[in-house]
Amino acid sequence: MADLAIRNLVKRYDKTEVLHGISLDVEDGEFVVFVGPSGCGKSTTLRLIAGLEDATSGEIVIGGRVVNNLEPKDRDIAMVFQNYAIYPHMTVRKNIGFGLRTSKMSKADKEARIDEVAGILGMSDLLARKPSQLSGGQRQRVAIGRAMVRDPAVFLFDEPLSNLDAQLRTQMRLEIKKLHQRVGNTIIFVTHDQVEAMTMADRIVIMKDGHIQQVGTPAEVYHKPANTFVARFIGAPSMNMLSGTVANGALQMASGSTVDLGVGLPEGRHVTVGVRPEDLHPGAGPALVRGPVTVREPLGHETLIYVGAEGQEVIAKADGRTPPEVGEEVTLTAALDTLHIFDAATGDALR
Amino acid sequence: MYRNLTIRQKQIVWAWAFLAIPILFYSVIRFYPTGNAILISFQDWNLLGDRTWTGLDNYQKLFADPVFWKVFKNTFVYLLIGTPVSLLISFVIAYHLDQVRFMHGFLRTLYFLPFMTSAVAMAWVWRWFYQPVPVGLFNNALASIGIPQFPFLQSTTWALPSVLAPAGWAGLGFQVIIFMAGLRAIPRSYYEAARIDGVSWWTVLWEITLPLLKPTIVFIVVFSSIGFLRIFDHVFNMTTNNPGGPLNSTKPLVLMIYETAFSAFDMGYAAAQTVVLFLVLLVVSLIQLRILRDS
Repeated sequence: MADLAIRNLVKRYDKTEVLHGISLDVEDGEFVVFVGPSGCGKSTTLRLIAGLEDATSGEIVIGGRVVNNLEPKDRDIAMVFQNYAIYPHMTVRKNIGFGLRTSKMSKADKEARIDEVAGILGMSDLLARKPSQLSGGQRQRVAIGRAMVRDPAVFLFDEPLSNLDAQLRTQMRLEIKKLHQRVGNTIIFVTHDQVEAMTMADRIVIMKDGHIQQVGTPAEVYHKPANTFVARFIGAPSMNMLSGTVANGALQMASGSTVDLGVGLPEGRHVTVGVRPEDLHPGAGPALVRGPVTVREPLGHETLIYVGAEGQEVIAKADGRTPPEVGEEVTLTAALDTLHIFDAATGDALR
Repeated sequence: MYRNLTIRQKQIVWAWAFLAIPILFYSVIRFYPTGNAILISFQDWNLLGDRTWTGLDNYQKLFADPVFWKVFKNTFVYLLIGTPVSLLISFVIAYHLDQVRFMHGFLRTLYFLPFMTSAVAMAWVWRWFYQPVPVGLFNNALASIGIPQFPFLQSTTWALPSVLAPAGWAGLGFQVIIFMAGLRAIPRSYYEAARIDGVSWWTVLWEITLPLLKPTIVFIVVFSSIGFLRIFDHVFNMTTNNPGGPLNSTKPLVLMIYETAFSAFDMGYAAAQTVVLFLVLLVVSLIQLRILRDS
């Protein structure tokens, strides 16, 4: 097992630079999830770590070794692909054993290792089957098995759950997390699904346009987003963004009310006030938003209400039993410590 | 009346209406002549006179005819050399062409060009290549580096391979295109996974590429076998002064049929040969499909 580090990693295709010098340290045994919209460079980063593509500049260090000039097989990594990349003409046993082809183990040791991995993944009785006889989740497990059998320092997962249906995805998410707790290898997991990132990761790396936006634990990126992009990307439904200005040390909201946060903010600055739907609710307190309810979405224990204000729709949480009627004017408020303040110009968090 | 039919019955009516045209075509153009040929093979007929029933006489004559057995053997030599060699060459070309990015489209066109060229024109150009000094290209080249002349089309040993070469070359473009389509259909991640596992180039080719190309290989083998079993144009045009010569060494079954029918006007005998060719094609194709079919 080993730690992994990337330093000033740059990737350029002809003249287009897709990764602009990213750096990251991953500790031994850590589960790190790269998340971001498509085209943000997360898969490219993974392929660079795997050695399937060459870095334009920068260093990749695995277990204290710079691996830039090593072939993928010499990097002590294993990868699980989005389409599983398991061979349809081979049995499960041969597929899992494929990762051991170059190993110097004896044949008996190899067989024992395959059986051990199959046991961990709960598919000992499926070893003689062909992939076409397996379900999607089982195929996924074969792909993981093939990676596990080599006992690599670092596991790389490239959106492995996106071909599964919603229910199976939830289940495999849990299985991969349990597997990580059991085998303890370092895992780098790429996904575009923020729920996957939140639920599985020890630390989340949020990327956009070839830059890292924020690195942190799920709680950190959720409660202390570094900028408006992270704030909107993490959490569903996404964070409401309201505009305001700082006047006399207090927030002057577009709704007309003034909110004194009791912290020093740069005077006269235009700011974006972020508030998560679950923190925003109708009631007495500093009025952040005023407007008519346009749509109600009952979820049973609570009701989401959409309120038209400031030329946009703001989502708030209302009581499940007695929500406001559609068309009713409501005043939305939130606890002051749940407000996120961003610079309106740069999008960076001010508090 | 049509209105009262159920949706399913209406679909059936339309299906038959559309099927009627190919059924008519196949009956008149394919099945009727096939049946007629089988019938004629039991008769004696010179194309103009009366047909007389002779039973199995034509077949007895055929199996006692040394020329038939020579021709039968030639046909299988065309098949057994032509199919594997062209398969191997076209795979090697397709495998490497697939990895070439530089002028890829142009190169692919070049390989496909012979397939679009007239077999007759090609045969005559190659025939010219094979001529002795000072006309033939190949012998001129050999002579210029001091190697004695090679009797390409004059030798009973070398005439058949010499005829086979342009015939194989002509079909190569088609096989290359089909192979490339097959190679493209293999997901890239299969190769990437193998690269991470660090297996050798040979293992990737032998255990990933070729097994996944099996449907493509079956298709090409069956098609090219049928092509070589029916070889005619190249042989006929490269040996016009003495068709199938020298000494029947290049004569395939189709050429024998042609000569029996339209030089000797022995239609019954030609029909018997045709029936044998038909059975050979049928058996070879069935065997290949069975052997190469997915288990």
